[in-house]
Amino acid sequence: MTAESQRRRAIWQILLFSAGLLVLTVISAGSVYLVNKARDDSKWVVHTIEAENQINALLLEIRRAESAARGYLLTQGADFKADHEKAVAAIIPALDRLTRLTGDNPAQRESIEKLSTAIETRLGQFAQELDFTDQNQQDKAAALVREAASTDTTAEIGKVAVSMIQEEERLFRLRSVNSDRSQTLAASMTGIGSGLVVLLALISIWLVQRSARRRDEAEGRLRDAYANLEALVDERTADLREANDEIQRFAYIVSHDLRSPLVNIMGFTSELEELGGDIFRRIGGLTHVPADGPPPAAGEIALEGPDKQLSADFSEALGFIKSSIGKMDRLISAILNLTREGRREFVPVKIDTRELIEAIVSTLAHQAAEAQAEIHVAPLPALVSDRLALEQIFSNLIDNAIKYLKPGTPGEIRIRGRTKLGYAIFEISDNGRGIDPKDHQRIFDLFRRAGTQDKQGQGIGLAHVRALVRRLGGTMSVSSELNTGSTFTITLPITWNASNRNADQ
Amino acid sequence: MTQPVTIIMIEDDEGHARLIERNIRRSGVNNEIVSFANGTDAMKHLFGADGSGLVQKGNALLILLDLNLPDMTGIDILKQIKENKYLKASPVVVLTTTDDSQEIKRCYELGCNVYITKPVNYENFANAIRQLGLFFSVIQVPPAAS
Repeated sequence: MTAESQRRRAIWQILLFSAGLLVLTVISAGSVYLVNKARDDSKWVVHTIEAENQINALLLEIRRAESAARGYLLTQGADFKADHEKAVAAIIPALDRLTRLTGDNPAQRESIEKLSTAIETRLGQFAQELDFTDQNQQDKAAALVREAASTDTTAEIGKVAVSMIQEEERLFRLRSVNSDRSQTLAASMTGIGSGLVVLLALISIWLVQRSARRRDEAEGRLRDAYANLEALVDERTADLREANDEIQRFAYIVSHDLRSPLVNIMGFTSELEELGGDIFRRIGGLTHVPADGPPPAAGEIALEGPDKQLSADFSEALGFIKSSIGKMDRLISAILNLTREGRREFVPVKIDTRELIEAIVSTLAHQAAEAQAEIHVAPLPALVSDRLALEQIFSNLIDNAIKYLKPGTPGEIRIRGRTKLGYAIFEISDNGRGIDPKDHQRIFDLFRRAGTQDKQGQGIGLAHVRALVRRLGGTMSVSSELNTGSTFTITLPITWNASNRNADQ
Repeated sequence: MTQPVTIIMIEDDEGHARLIERNIRRSGVNNEIVSFANGTDAMKHLFGADGSGLVQKGNALLILLDLNLPDMTGIDILKQIKENKYLKASPVVVLTTTDDSQEIKRCYELGCNVYITKPVNYENFANAIRQLGLFFSVIQVPPAAS
C-alpha cells in the first residue's frame, strides 16, 4: 500500500467525519429553530382562541346586562338591578382585555373601536333606563328600550362581534396551518438528518472495515515475505558457508599439492648444482692436465677464461631458481597457515587485554630496543573473545609498528582502548614512516605490500589480521599519511558469542 | 644383522622417490629398496593376496610412507600396518610435505616411528634422509614375525 493512497484514505475519513459533524450541527440548529417556531405558532393559535373566547365573554356580559335591565324594568326587583350592575361592571374590563388581546391586529383594532363606541352608547342607554325605572317612570324607560331597539345598538354590537370572531377564526385557521407546517418541517428535518447521520456512519464503518481488511491482508503478505526472507537468508547463508568451506579446502589442497613438485624442483636443482660442480671440476681437470704425471686433485683446480664465466653463469642461474623456489615455498606456507587458521575453532574466554598486550610487548622487547622504540600501553577494556586470535592480531600490528619506524627517529608506539555501544575500540598508533592513502586498501590484500620494500615480509600479516578481526565479528581500519605515522583501529564486540560465527565454520 | 633389511618405499611422486633413494644410497646404505607408486600395490605386497600379512612373515622390513597417495591416505596404511600382527614391529618412517601439527600428532598416535617433513630446503631434507640411512645401518630391525 502506497503512502499516497494511505494519505487519501485519511483525508476521506476526515472529510466524512467533518460532514457528519456538519449535518449534526445543521440538524440541531434547524431543530431548535423549528421547535421555537412551532411553539410560537402554537402560542398564536392559543392567542387566537383566547381572543375569540374573550369576544364571546364580552357578548355574554352585554346580553346579561341587557336581560337584567329588562327584568328590572318589568319587575323593579332589586335582584335584577344588582345583577345588571355586576354585568355592567364586568363589561369594561372584558372590553379592555379584548383590546389588549387584539392590539396586534389593525383590522381588529378598528372593529374594537366600533365595538367600544357601540358598547358605551348601550351602557349609556342602560344607565338612563335604570334611572327612569328608579324614578318609577316605566313608560319613559320602555320608550327608551324601544328607541334602543330601533337604533339597533345591540345588533351593531352583535355584527361587529361576529365579524371579529370571523376574523379570529380566519387567523386561527391560518395559524393552525402554520403551526402544523412548522411541526411537520421539524419532524422531517430531524428524520432526514438522522438518516444522513446513519448513512455517514454506515459509510464510515464500511471504510474502517475495508481498511482493516486491507491491513490484515498487508500483514499477511508481510508475514509471508518475512518467512520467505528468512528462508532465503538461511539458504544463502548455507550457500556461502559451503562456498567458504570449498575455498578453504581448495586453498589447502592447492597449497599442499603445489608443495610436492616444489620439493622435486628444489631437490633436483640441488642435484644439478652438485652435478654442475662435478662437471666444472672435470673440465678444469681436463684443461689442466700436465703433459705427463698425475692430474692434480680435483678441488684445487681454478677455471680460467670462458670456462670460469660459464661456471659463474651456471651458478647464477641456479641461484635465481633456488631463491624463487624459496619465495614460492614461503607463499605456499603462508596460504597453508591461513587456511589452517580459518579452520581453527575459536573459543571465547575472558581476556584481560592489557595483560595480553603487555605479554606481547615483552616478547617484542628485543626488537623494540633495537629500533629504539618505546611502547606505551594505556588501560584497555577487557573482552570475551578468542585468546590466540587476539594475540595474533595485536602481535602482528605491534610487530609492524616496530618494523616500519622511520630510520633515525626514536619510535613511539601507543596502544589505547575505549568502549562504545557494546564494542571495544583499540588504537595502535606509531610515529613511523606512514602509509600513502592510496595504499590503505592494498595493504590488507594478501601478498601485497606498500612503501619502500626494505624489510622482510610476505604481505600476509595484515590480511591475516583483518580475516581474524572479521571472524571475531569486528572491523578494522587504518588512518595514515606518509611520514607522519599510522593508526590502526580495531573494533571488536566486547562479548563475542561463539555461535554467531563459529557455526559458519 | 642376521637378515638383510628390505626398505619398502611407498611414494607416488617419482621425483621424491628418486631423491630419497639417492640420499639413502649416498649415506652408504645398500639394502634393497622396493618402491611403490600407489597404495594399492603397496598393500598387496605388504599384506599379500589374502590381506593377512602372512607373506611377510619372517622378513625384516623398514617402511617409508608418504601420506598423500592418489588412491588412499597414508594414514590408513599406517593404521593397518600397526594393527597387523606380522607387520606391527616394522619401523615406519612417515615422509610428507605438510608440517601440520595435527597430522604429525595423529601419525605418532597411530604408531609411526619417525616423522619427516619434506622441506623445500633440500639440504635439510637430504641431511635428514642421510641420517635416516645411518640410522638404518645401526638399528636392529626385527623380522616381521615373532
